[in-house]
Amino acid sequence: MSAERWRWLRTKCRRLFRRGKEEAALDRELQFHLDQLVAQFREEGMSEKEARLAARREFGAAGEAYREEIRDTWRPPQLADLWRSVRFAVRSLARSPGFALLAIMTLALGIGGNTMMFSVFDSVVRKPLPYPESEQLDRIYRGTPQNSGGNLAPADFLDLQRNAQSYGAVAAFAPSDTSLSEPGQPAEMASGVRTTANLFSLLGIEPQLGRDFRKGEDIPGNDRVVILSQRCWQKRFGGDPEIVGRMIRIDGRPHQIVGVMPAAFNDWRHLGWVDLFRPLALEKDQATNRRDTILHVIGRRSAQVSPAEGNGFIANFGARLAKDFPEVNAGSSWRAERLNGTIQGKTAGTILGLLIGLSGFVLLIACSNLANLLLARTIARAREFAVRSALGASRMQLLRPLIVESLLLATAGGLCAILVAMWGADWLAARSTGDNGEQVILAFNWAVFGWAFGASVFTAVAFGLAPALFALRLNVNGTLKSGGRGLTGTRGHQRFGRILIAGQFALAMVLLAGAALFIRGLNELNHRRAGWQSERLVTGTVVLPAARYSSARTINNFHRLVVERLESLPGVASASISSFAPFFDWADVRKYLVAGRALPKPGHEPAAVVNAITPHYFETVRTPLLAGRVFNARDTATSAKVFIINHAMAVGLFGNQDPIGHRLAQTGRADLQWGEIVGVVADVRSVLPEAGPVSFQLYEPMAQEPRAYDEIAVRAASGAPSVLIENIRTAMTSLDPDLPVRSLQTADATIERANYQTAVLRDMLTGFAILGLGLASLGIYGVIARTTAQRTSEFAIRFALGACVRDITRIVLASGIKLVLIGSALGLLGAVGIAHLLAAGNPGMQLNSPPVLLGTMLLLTAVALVACWLPARRAARINPIDALRAE
Amino acid sequence: MDKVRSELLQGTLDLLILKALSAVSLHGWDIAKRIAVVSNDRLSLKQGSLYPALHRLEDRGWIEAEWGVSEAGRSAKFYRLTRKGRKELEVEKEHWLSFADAMNSVLNNLEELS
Repeated sequence: MSAERWRWLRTKCRRLFRRGKEEAALDRELQFHLDQLVAQFREEGMSEKEARLAARREFGAAGEAYREEIRDTWRPPQLADLWRSVRFAVRSLARSPGFALLAIMTLALGIGGNTMMFSVFDSVVRKPLPYPESEQLDRIYRGTPQNSGGNLAPADFLDLQRNAQSYGAVAAFAPSDTSLSEPGQPAEMASGVRTTANLFSLLGIEPQLGRDFRKGEDIPGNDRVVILSQRCWQKRFGGDPEIVGRMIRIDGRPHQIVGVMPAAFNDWRHLGWVDLFRPLALEKDQATNRRDTILHVIGRRSAQVSPAEGNGFIANFGARLAKDFPEVNAGSSWRAERLNGTIQGKTAGTILGLLIGLSGFVLLIACSNLANLLLARTIARAREFAVRSALGASRMQLLRPLIVESLLLATAGGLCAILVAMWGADWLAARSTGDNGEQVILAFNWAVFGWAFGASVFTAVAFGLAPALFALRLNVNGTLKSGGRGLTGTRGHQRFGRILIAGQFALAMVLLAGAALFIRGLNELNHRRAGWQSERLVTGTVVLPAARYSSARTINNFHRLVVERLESLPGVASASISSFAPFFDWADVRKYLVAGRALPKPGHEPAAVVNAITPHYFETVRTPLLAGRVFNARDTATSAKVFIINHAMAVGLFGNQDPIGHRLAQTGRADLQWGEIVGVVADVRSVLPEAGPVSFQLYEPMAQEPRAYDEIAVRAASGAPSVLIENIRTAMTSLDPDLPVRSLQTADATIERANYQTAVLRDMLTGFAILGLGLASLGIYGVIARTTAQRTSEFAIRFALGACVRDITRIVLASGIKLVLIGSALGLLGAVGIAHLLAAGNPGMQLNSPPVLLGTMLLLTAVALVACWLPARRAARINPIDALRAE
Repeated sequence: MDKVRSELLQGTLDLLILKALSAVSLHGWDIAKRIAVVSNDRLSLKQGSLYPALHRLEDRGWIEAEWGVSEAGRSAKFYRLTRKGRKELEVEKEHWLSFADAMNSVLNNLEELS
């Protein structure tokens, strides 16, 4: 570049960016000229004063007229126009700071909420898991009619592993909570996972310290090794760099720490809650087990296998197993789903997408509010537009300030919105931190900022459109003739404003109804005590380590001791042990044959969820016995097999017949073991939102099939359960110091805690609903207040002609309420749709309630009434004489 | 001699400025003076059009400015021609001369043809 050109560019830049300096230079240049002029006049013989006056006269008033012309040459032409429009818009907004502030705040809340939801969606669904080539990873499910997201049985998994070459590779893990202790310290409960030796290498993550599991360490006897998660290493071992090689006691047996996983492995969406990883060593009887679906299976497709092909392979494999082993696998359907986008096995996309949609409703309400405000501003400036148009301004010139004004508002709103979204994300992260410290990490990245930017532009277009259309359709002649006095806009514009208000209330109705239904549903869920009672009930979980509780006899002895010990505590009415708590889903699904009936087709046997219980279980949780008897101490491992079934199963299998005395046997065994139904109890419903409707429930005596995974339940006779909790803990420790009790608290607290994620969802919905309702009320208040003010003279005349206060109030109220009723009636349709969508994501919740919908509509109308009543009161206070004189 | 009509023909202002700067660098006052002297006071540049024109030409990169010291010892903004401006001057001059020539021919010879 030549030196000349370089200097020219510098001048240009100076003129663009160093305005102050350039102005000063211009002043000096013009001053110099003026002084020269004065000097010339002096030479011609004028006095100093005359010369100055003459020079001024010739030069013009400090040359202001052509200064602007000079400045124009400093700016590129389009930029100059734009710059002028921006300054014009800033000035005109600064003249009404109230409006600007309201608009920016409205936008900040609307865009902010929306951006926050997008950032959640982004970090949960869009962001891939922290594994290399994570798009090749699948979660493999064995769906059954009872559970579409079911796991695999060990033998089925081993078959799959042996035959998966054309798919890729598969690995499995099974949650197994354990006790963790070091010499001389009490045991702690740790969340553990047993994994096949290839899980980490399949995911593509290496330990940050030490080594991975070796082949062969998943053979029973070689499995006394453990890998820590980063979280456990930091929290429990203080990040000790010499940790590898140390021995710790797990379930009372010494294990060697061989590695520590990196922090990335703690991604909360997948394995984030785990403390310990141990090899999955399958004993011989486990390796041939096709019944107990305990394994979570993950697959990595070969690079050339597409997701659809992978899914096809898995589905085929499942179909083949169903044919080979119909007694356990008939009716099951296998599938592979991408691991990305699932949270701990649950699909989060639907519900989050729904929330983005709902926050979009808030944004739409905000937009239509602004559209109304801007429309009113534009109408108020109609005369100015008409004059400018008459003076020859082109359409573009008329529109530009309007467009720039809305872009300016949207930009300011968008910037504030990012702050709002960050604040919201902080709140959400704090709110959604779980028991195990797993946290939703919300990262703000370019995608999120891009979303905020897009939303801002969208809003600018959406709310800037109305006034722009108005300006285009302006009738110059009419406007000038009317003198710009008492302008209310044409009928069309008023109708447009009203449609916006009705639309706002439709959206607000959807939001409010969705939130109200959800709040009610969650309340119902948290207080659902169908088939049992929670007052003064304390529950906790213990897992008996297989190494020390290996035989049915040792487990039975321990159970007997525990119940005896707990029932002897002061203030305890009764105590029991069961394999499942009454209020959660019972994961153990089994199929049964009925004695004396024709064998059903394989796969069509009745299935029931099974709970193994000790004799005082029903007394402790207070599930009513409807017929027959409960189990007692004489139902032992050696006595005849007995069952108790729930009401639904009794009706489903035996109709009006008395089920007592009928015999059932579990399918899938070579030698069918028949047992007699001795009792019928009431149905029990789960309190989890994902739970399906009540299914068949079957109880068997714990003694006849002892379980290592135990739920303890203790019913206090009276008083607060808090004292009892400590007593229970002491009693349990005295029985087995290596056995920690997890989640020992009241049943109410456990339920509340279990549904906390749903509660977060409820809080977000409620937030959006309140925001939407607030904005919509503000909108209707603004429109009614404005139209009322414009009709002042009309009301004054009505007063003068004898109308009384009540008449005027009624006119104003009626104009508002009509809009609200139309809007919320439309919204009712949307609300029903929202209820359906929410119900699809939360099948266990009661989300359909006409009274709630009606109540929502009443609330909405009441709020709108207040918003309309304020301007109505003002209208009713018009002094007709003053108002008419002002005309 | 009569003063030519006060408003210049369109497009001539730029040419006058460029020509005035073709040999030396001058400040605004001297440009106006020099043109007035050379044209025997028949062409006078009003500062109202002179300064915007100077800034416009500078913006186009035909002239460039530098602060210097005037004869009276005051600091003043001096303009000079750039290479681009010199080329432009030639083009404009050609343009103007051929235009003036054409005008002359028409004004002097049109009656004789008819």
